[in-house]
Amino acid sequence: MVITSDTWLPSHEELTVPELELSSGVLRAGAHHFGKYCDFQSKEFMLCWREEKDPRKCINEGKEVTNCGFEFFGEVKKHCMDSFTKYWNCIDNAGTRMHYDRCRETQAAFDKCVLANLKQERPDLGYFSKVRVHHTKRPKPVEPSHKYPEPTPDMPDFKNEPMPDSVKYGNRFFFN
Amino acid sequence: MAGSGGNEFRQEMPRSGGYQDIHWAHRSRPRRFGRYSGVVYFGSFLGLTGVAMWGFTGVFQKRRDFEVEMQDGRIAVAPLLLAEQQRMFLKQLRSNRDEEEELMKDVANWKVGHLYNEPVYHNLSNVWIKPAIEEFYAHNKRQDMLNRAYEKNRLH
Repeated sequence: MVITSDTWLPSHEELTVPELELSSGVLRAGAHHFGKYCDFQSKEFMLCWREEKDPRKCINEGKEVTNCGFEFFGEVKKHCMDSFTKYWNCIDNAGTRMHYDRCRETQAAFDKCVLANLKQERPDLGYFSKVRVHHTKRPKPVEPSHKYPEPTPDMPDFKNEPMPDSVKYGNRFFFN
Repeated sequence: MAGSGGNEFRQEMPRSGGYQDIHWAHRSRPRRFGRYSGVVYFGSFLGLTGVAMWGFTGVFQKRRDFEVEMQDGRIAVAPLLLAEQQRMFLKQLRSNRDEEEELMKDVANWKVGHLYNEPVYHNLSNVWIKPAIEEFYAHNKRQDMLNRAYEKNRLH
């Protein structure tokens, strides 16, 4: 493997955090509200991932995303357990792709509950598909310069050098 | 024939008075299609197509909105899943490295992550190199790797 013993890797303790163990139906049902609730953390993490091109450097950002997920789904569980359960059960059975447009009634109830308790409206259509500008405090990473091996030295310029004594009959080439 | 017998040579000629004209131009004249002129037919075709396209815009817009909403749902949870995935990935890399250290400890002149003591990549600036999938699944069965690599192609 290309990971050598000199390569720094985070330990298992650093990487072990409580993971959000939710099924796809729940994630899909809560996606829009979760995305808006954890907008900052998500953008921070995705920007870090895109910029650094190194999963080791974005562990803390990733942990914050998961932490925020716990916070959001905990809030939903505390306040909107009923409507959310109805909604995700509907989503779970809404076709092979979990179509959103088959569950508008339960969605309206869930949105109402979220608006009342979490003070958050459902984001507009295409909110996550648009380009979202993010201002971060993390310094911009500098691309490490590529280090080349020592170049082979050039040949000396023979034209300007005096003719060695060992050459008796001058240059072999006529036009030189 | 010219020099045989007493028969005189005679050139065949058209009959006296000549042949009748062939009225091909009259017979193969294109017939009109239907009752109206071509302008009417082409015009009505273009008009109906335009009306139908205009009528379909609402359907297309609805379809596009549906896809955008589905895509929104995927994008919104992508950071959550990606964060978890990267943590799992790094954990597995560490396990792999420990495994390799344990496995190759008796091999003389072996450095972990190298081919004997030759590094695999020229990486003096020490950037992150994602290991190839064959390396990631080096301690597994080959079929496990293939299942993972072609997961999307399989029917679930």
